[in-house]
Amino acid sequence: MDNLVELQDVHFYRGNTPIYQGVNLRVPRGKITAIMGPSGCGKTTMLRLIGGQLKPRSGSVQFAGQEVPSLSRKELFELRKRMSMLFQSGALFTDMTVNQNVAFPIHEHTELPREIVDTIVKMKLQAVGLRGAGQLFPSELSGGMARRAALARSIALDPELIMYDEPFTGQDPISMGMIVKLIRSLNETLGLTSIVVSHDIHETMGIADHVAIIANKQVVAQGSPSELLNHESALVRQFLNGEPDGPVPFHYQANDYLEDLMVRKG
Amino acid sequence: METRKTEILVGVFVAVTIVALVFLALRVASNTDITRGSTYTLSASFDNIGGLKVRSPVKIGGVTVGRVTRIYLEGEYYEPVVEMQISTAYDQLPETSTVSVLTSGLLGEQYLGVEPGFIDDGIMMLQDGDRFMNSNSAMVLEELIGQFLFSQGDN
Amino acid sequence: MDVLANLGRSSLNIFRGMGAALIMLLQAIIGKPQPRKSFPLFVRQMYVVGVQSLLIILISGLFIGMVLGLQGYTILVDFGAEQALGPMVALSLLRELGPVVTALLFAGRAGSALTAEIGLMRATEQLSSLEMMAVDPLRRVVAPRFWAGFISMPMLALIFTAVGILGGYFVGVQWLGVDDGAFWSVMQSAVDWRDDVMNGVIKSLVFAFVVTWIALYKGYTAEPTSAGISKATTSTVVTGSLAVLGLDFVLTAIMFS
Repeated sequence: MDNLVELQDVHFYRGNTPIYQGVNLRVPRGKITAIMGPSGCGKTTMLRLIGGQLKPRSGSVQFAGQEVPSLSRKELFELRKRMSMLFQSGALFTDMTVNQNVAFPIHEHTELPREIVDTIVKMKLQAVGLRGAGQLFPSELSGGMARRAALARSIALDPELIMYDEPFTGQDPISMGMIVKLIRSLNETLGLTSIVVSHDIHETMGIADHVAIIANKQVVAQGSPSELLNHESALVRQFLNGEPDGPVPFHYQANDYLEDLMVRKG
Repeated sequence: METRKTEILVGVFVAVTIVALVFLALRVASNTDITRGSTYTLSASFDNIGGLKVRSPVKIGGVTVGRVTRIYLEGEYYEPVVEMQISTAYDQLPETSTVSVLTSGLLGEQYLGVEPGFIDDGIMMLQDGDRFMNSNSAMVLEELIGQFLFSQGDN
Repeated sequence: MDVLANLGRSSLNIFRGMGAALIMLLQAIIGKPQPRKSFPLFVRQMYVVGVQSLLIILISGLFIGMVLGLQGYTILVDFGAEQALGPMVALSLLRELGPVVTALLFAGRAGSALTAEIGLMRATEQLSSLEMMAVDPLRRVVAPRFWAGFISMPMLALIFTAVGILGGYFVGVQWLGVDDGAFWSVMQSAVDWRDDVMNGVIKSLVFAFVVTWIALYKGYTAEPTSAGISKATTSTVVTGSLAVLGLDFVLTAIMFS
């Protein structure tokens, strides 16, 4: 299969704490890949590794055949014009209107005349259903609208890859539904590759073509959603079914409970 | 428009700064510094220069014509020597001129007063690097009082 | 031994911080200039940093000048030297109060705002998002703010000084009756363009550089939490003010002794 992004045996440390130890991941071109896992397992870190904002201690991170960690700053910036990222908070520029936010990457990277940029901005906002909100400032938008506006900005330059960082977190069911629909339709109509980082199993499994599950500093399973639902690993089943106890323990590591109580008495 | 308003206000800011600078230049500071233009250097030796300092003014008849640029001791008797820069507008000082360390007012700052000398056939004009031949040292208050007391005792 | 180790560790940390700050600044301001893109950003920051600090500078300058006039007069009149009021007001403002008080006010007004703004941009992932859009946040966010601070603070100091001298004039001449002509002429003979005015401008350029730099670095490296940003903002004002006062002593020693 043709992979747009490929990670091989990636080791990553934050300070001296290992985050990844030997991660292998492939992101097929033109598909929606979901990266799932319990909170704190470093899902966002994965996106930053692909975007070159973080460098792994060892291993290979490839985007369209290029080795991301070894690129120079200039080459990296060239590469980033081909990908975009939707941040958890939206990360809209608070001192600009929605229109100016969407126009920002176009003005930065092209020399297009104003009228054409305005037209592109209207088209992108129409795609996310916010053409009428172009004159508003980010502070005047609801959380769901801000995320859609940020999505319009992410697709302003027609990237090949779009990475969604927790797109469903903190959304009401209606805006969640809108975003699910948008991810699906953008992927189909623009022919781009999507990576969705999330722990909302239901929504994510619904739209993903390919799913990778991270736990214990590794990718423990990857495949199509139906393959994973019948996975032999207890860990994968615990995560997908949302069971409170199992291979991921309910209790944080501690010494023996009874002993602990006795010590306090003594 | 937002940007237009910003630009206008930044323009006002720059204009206010220029007004402030012009005010400081014309109204507050002395921009008629005599040593700004071309100058020549003269020196003079004294017994005592009192409270004279580098940048003290050099005056002829109360008009500033230059500034003291260097003060140092010279020779085996450690005579104080004062170097001064004088505007080339006043380059016709005869070598018979006298230079004195004077005080403006009773407690004021000390300065160099130049008294132009007589001009005669054999008299040259002072050139760059020349030294005044006649100089009067600073009057030191303690010495004056001492002299006064001794002269009283003689009577 | 622990004391020595602590001393060594904290000085190493300070040096590391200064090195990182220097690298940040160099990356921000060195590079191919793009006047068409960066000039509007610069003008915008001149407005935020300079114009919006103008009012506090005008008011403080006026009052400090008036207080100098009043205090100076009551001291000088005992010696019968009230003509010296002009040079006293002018010299203290030009050499010390203009640059220093402006820098302190600037650290509190504009410096803290710069730190909080950049810290919040980091906390809300705006800086990360710029990077992912292949736009260098150092060039785009830090550089225009640096230049605006570096240029506008000396401008503010000049305005502060001029307004302060006028304040001293109103109190001394219009109210307390010092002679109008003597006030200006004695001032003019005592104030030297290069020694006093230019040295004051040099001082405020140095302060502007340091205060803006500290504000930007603290914001850029702020921990992306509300506690982290409030800590960074406080630290900008404290470090900035101390740096200004310390540097003022050094500069004064070099310039006027």
